[in-house]
Amino acid sequence: MSKLSHHELIQFIFCIGSMLIAARLVGEFFRKFKMPLVVGELIAGVLLGPTLLGNYLPEASKYFYVSTGNVGIALNGLTTISVIMLLFVAGMEVELSIIRQQGAVAFKTSLIGLVIPMGLGYFTARYFYTWFGETDMNNVLPFSLFIGTAMAVSALPVIARTLMDLGLFRTRIGMIIIAAAMFDDLIGWILFSVILGMMNKTAQGIDFVYTLGLTLLYAIGMLTVGRFLINKSVPWAEKNFTWPGGFLSISLGLAFLGAAFTEFAGIHAIFGAFIMGIAIGDSVHVTEKTREIVHQFVTNIFAPLFFISVGFKVNFIANFNFQIVVLVFFLAVVCKLLGAGLGALWGGLSKKEALAVGFGMNARGAMEIILATLALQAKLIGEPLFVAIVIMAVLTSIMAGPMLQLLLNPQGNGFKNKTSIS
Amino acid sequence: MTAKTCLNAYYCCMNSVDSPFKKIAVAVAFSPRCEALLAEARQLQDKLNAQMLFIHVGKKSLQEEQYLKHLLHRFGLDKENNKTIWEQGDPVETILRVCQEEEVDLIVAGALEKENLIKYFFGGVARQLSRKAKCSMLMLTEPNIHPSGFKHIVVEGSDHPKSEYTIATSIEIGRAYAAEWIDIVQEMDLSKMALLRHEELKQAEAEALREEFLKEEDEKLQDILKCKDCRGLLIHTERIEGKPGYVISKFARDKKADLLVLNSPDKQMNLIDRVFPHDIEFALADLPCNLLIVQETLYNQ
Repeated sequence: MSKLSHHELIQFIFCIGSMLIAARLVGEFFRKFKMPLVVGELIAGVLLGPTLLGNYLPEASKYFYVSTGNVGIALNGLTTISVIMLLFVAGMEVELSIIRQQGAVAFKTSLIGLVIPMGLGYFTARYFYTWFGETDMNNVLPFSLFIGTAMAVSALPVIARTLMDLGLFRTRIGMIIIAAAMFDDLIGWILFSVILGMMNKTAQGIDFVYTLGLTLLYAIGMLTVGRFLINKSVPWAEKNFTWPGGFLSISLGLAFLGAAFTEFAGIHAIFGAFIMGIAIGDSVHVTEKTREIVHQFVTNIFAPLFFISVGFKVNFIANFNFQIVVLVFFLAVVCKLLGAGLGALWGGLSKKEALAVGFGMNARGAMEIILATLALQAKLIGEPLFVAIVIMAVLTSIMAGPMLQLLLNPQGNGFKNKTSIS
Repeated sequence: MTAKTCLNAYYCCMNSVDSPFKKIAVAVAFSPRCEALLAEARQLQDKLNAQMLFIHVGKKSLQEEQYLKHLLHRFGLDKENNKTIWEQGDPVETILRVCQEEEVDLIVAGALEKENLIKYFFGGVARQLSRKAKCSMLMLTEPNIHPSGFKHIVVEGSDHPKSEYTIATSIEIGRAYAAEWIDIVQEMDLSKMALLRHEELKQAEAEALREEFLKEEDEKLQDILKCKDCRGLLIHTERIEGKPGYVISKFARDKKADLLVLNSPDKQMNLIDRVFPHDIEFALADLPCNLLIVQETLYNQ
């Protein structure tokens, strides 16, 4: 059996430790300036990776991340596991019952919030793909679909925070927007998985219809029968296993099994974990406390590992293309402000509130970075576009807070105390 | 699952709705529980001073007609202002049509605690009625020939415009039945709080946010329960965390309540709501006790 040598093992463990600490330190530094942790974690990777430290002191950079050899493979495996877990947690945030509960209004809102960004993104990429630095005509369909999806995904926690600042979090309108964002993310990730499946077909010759069939079977099965069985089994497991430790291992175990299945089917592993997250998170027996433990475990250990590793994979200065960065940023902002803003307007908010919701939903956060990283790994996009998307994700997340402040609280009397609309 | 937070005792005391149900329809089927259902109907008539309507959907035969007459007489339900209607057609649609024509405030039907999976998804008569009725609906899970009444009532007290009427109706029923205990339950779905915590809130910030939410909820409920006139009815408020509909059903079951009172759903439930259950569908899937779904109609406003 081949294994890491003594030296490689030390290097591997050292990298994990130093990445975790560096990500936390830089993350907390940025948090002081009211920026999301993920921004700091990402910048830690940029500072310590090939962009800066790796460029001048490559040997020093290797204390944090190694991209070649056995250690590189092991670290890559670890970041893949991290992204699977991140998507599992993202799935746990989606509540199908909320989507159903909010009914037609949420559906209409989500439809606008989805169709406008996706449509604008798709058509811009389809007809002006060279603007994005793409030259390969063969990939234009999955590439355009990817740009559409990248414009449509949102960061649910940022939306929740926006609604909180608006004083709308627990109102009917707030729930409509949450439901709409959940629905958009659900469709966005399904579509992205299909795009990766299309890429896989090209790369490995797997029959796309077969892949799609298996994927649909898995998704429908898990969201109906699987969800039902999981819900029935949770009380039994709670009674017979140590809790919530038992939940943590069984749920993550199921997430990995689901991920393995969709990877086998030809769709990326993240899809299996995402759907499993929905199926498990929807159970009435999963308490807030249990949910919290999974969140803490994943977002404080695996998320920093993933986000710092992003900075190690690309040289952000060498691949910085001003034109692409500006294009992606403006396209993203316009798409989301139009889509989410009009959706919120239709949902019953005033113009000012709708614009605020638009800016809240415009924050792409961690999900966009995950999307871009997976697209880069699948060779769906090049490094300059990857850099542009990451910058867009960071900028939109940073600008959400000040924009909301400006829109809602210019004289220190925003909507904070707004009473329930329901 | 249920995290007890506060327990406040009130002695009832709020502006009441007089006689919430003036006209009550009983869906009669000649099942083994028919007699018990009529015994319960008699008690409802006495306690709520309501006009009764007995609806049977099916072919009218002399034998069945005589049997029903006999039962109504036996339970003292053959009063002048009571009415018996025989109709043919689809049971659910026919009952709903008759109730609308007759301006019924409450439909009463017997219901099994739990139906088999196929029947649940495609609908037994009582559950279908509860999903489609435009008036209130009382589902009796264990009607008894010697009705024991509603001694312990659990009521939904969520932050919803319908809750005030539901609570007022429950208190009227509690008074009529001389209930020993009424629990007004606030269901707090804090799962969405995780989204906020995910947004890098410190523990203290998250706790403060949570406390702010809970305080707001308490204030809203206390506003509804502002007292004026105490008549010895013991009311408790309870806050439980979890999915709305599911946790209140569990609470009613755990407390061995006699009656669970819920707001009517905001929209008509269909098959998808059973596949992805929420709110009232959790209670309908497995009735914890008798279930009253309160709906304010044009006639009882």
